[in-house]
Amino acid sequence: MSESAAALDITDLVFRYASGVADVLRGVNLRIDHGEFVALIGQNGAGKTTLAKHFNGLLKPSSGSVRVMGRDTRAAPVADLARAVGYVYQNPDHQIFAQRVRAEAAFGPRNLGLSPSEVEQRVERALALVGLREHADDFAFSLGRGQRQKLAVASVLAMEPRILVVDEPTTGLDQAGARGILDLLSTWNVEGRTIVVITHDMTLVAERIPRTVVVNDGLILADGPTRHVLTDASLLRKAYLRPPQVTRVAQRLGDLGVAPDVLTVAELYRQIAARMGPS
Amino acid sequence: MPVGYSIYVDRPSYIHHRLDPRTKLAALGAAFVLALAFNHPAVLGGLVVLVLVAGRVAQVGWRSMAPFLAGSVWFIILGVLIWPLYVRSGAPLYAIAGQTITVDGLLFGLAMGLRVALMVTAAGVWMMTTSPQKLTVGLLHLGLPYKAGVAMTAAIRFVPLLNAERATIAEAQQARALDLRKGSPLSRAVKSVAIIGPLFIRAIDVAQGLAVAMDARGFGVRDGRTSIVELRLTGVDRMVMLALLAASLLGIALRLLGIGLISRDYL
Repeated sequence: MSESAAALDITDLVFRYASGVADVLRGVNLRIDHGEFVALIGQNGAGKTTLAKHFNGLLKPSSGSVRVMGRDTRAAPVADLARAVGYVYQNPDHQIFAQRVRAEAAFGPRNLGLSPSEVEQRVERALALVGLREHADDFAFSLGRGQRQKLAVASVLAMEPRILVVDEPTTGLDQAGARGILDLLSTWNVEGRTIVVITHDMTLVAERIPRTVVVNDGLILADGPTRHVLTDASLLRKAYLRPPQVTRVAQRLGDLGVAPDVLTVAELYRQIAARMGPS
Repeated sequence: MPVGYSIYVDRPSYIHHRLDPRTKLAALGAAFVLALAFNHPAVLGGLVVLVLVAGRVAQVGWRSMAPFLAGSVWFIILGVLIWPLYVRSGAPLYAIAGQTITVDGLLFGLAMGLRVALMVTAAGVWMMTTSPQKLTVGLLHLGLPYKAGVAMTAAIRFVPLLNAERATIAEAQQARALDLRKGSPLSRAVKSVAIIGPLFIRAIDVAQGLAVAMDARGFGVRDGRTSIVELRLTGVDRMVMLALLAASLLGIALRLLGIGLISRDYL
């Protein structure tokens, strides 16, 4: 694998689960560079997860190509690609099996064949990052849903992949829990790692993720800065999506001179405050 | 993820829709009796072919039936490897490590494998041609308690569901660099804990969820209930059942007479 190549480089990717059935992906072109933080959005069944499963070779293209740091996924086993690409599943219960939190987080790094001291270091670091250090010796299954989600993330972070794919990390979490996970991903991204998040949570995308890719019916419908993509109501409508609520409010307030590309409540507040003048 | 309702495949065949589920259950029973009655590979092989033909008549594709046969191949290999050490009658073929291998031994091993193939394939074809819903109603008519009937259909319905769960778990663990293809059989068995562990917990979770959802909808409030499926044994059903009964009795009689056997010493 090469550092100079793009993190992920996808060309004309077509995928079907079995011959004779409809294509799930119908010619996807996507390039994600090192250090990017990208949201994959789209309605259920649009092909987001199917696309993401190509990033670490769980699925191989029916035609076209997927390159991870320059390496063609068709020629690489998943266990090898797992060094470069971490993948956190939607449901933490699909991966937690060890008794203790610490042992769960150590599973991935140990599979990579790292030395025991290196494994221990990485586990400590990952657990600290997600805020589970004081639970390291707890039973993994006694954790609450939010903490299990964090453990699932930590157990992949401990492998220290250059690229991290996270499928619906905020499902079943309250706002605080969801923000906690996004904070965590932002921290990880600042360290120079590439992150791709599949999500339905438009508010979190608007607040935290700079680039948004809209998947619709097996194709990339839009790809660009989140501020452009998420404020384009007519574009999103084609993918059966809507801009974040605050953006819709801002666009209704256009007559008052509020800009239509507001993404967060704080931005809207500033805009309105500026128009109200000092009072 | 596509999760089917059991492995049942709906086809517009006579066996699917006109034959009573009780008749099909009797057919499965007869297949098991005959599988145990004979231990000659020719007879058992013939019965396997018969089951496959029945599957084809019911418009079940070869592709759907092949996995059951493929799974049985292991039992055939195992049978041929192990049984010659026990069944020593018949013409000696060759000696290996001081053990004389006889033709009968090999044939008996083959028969034991085919016996498993027959049972597995019959059960497979039976499940693919009998809708779980009709099966439950059929069993209720036979006096099965209602709750037990539901438990049984739920179990059948869980097979594909848990298989999908297993696939997802395997993917999640592969993404954590779990490589099940590498290592000795023992180390691979140890590694599979990473898949079996979550699978058990998911199974309990799903079962509990189902129980709660059913309780919430008043399951068990009233004993028995009406069904949209009405069953009626037709003349054809009666004839088929009689034929199956006759075949089973004939199988047992032949067994007692020692016909269709390689060895009388083993079942």
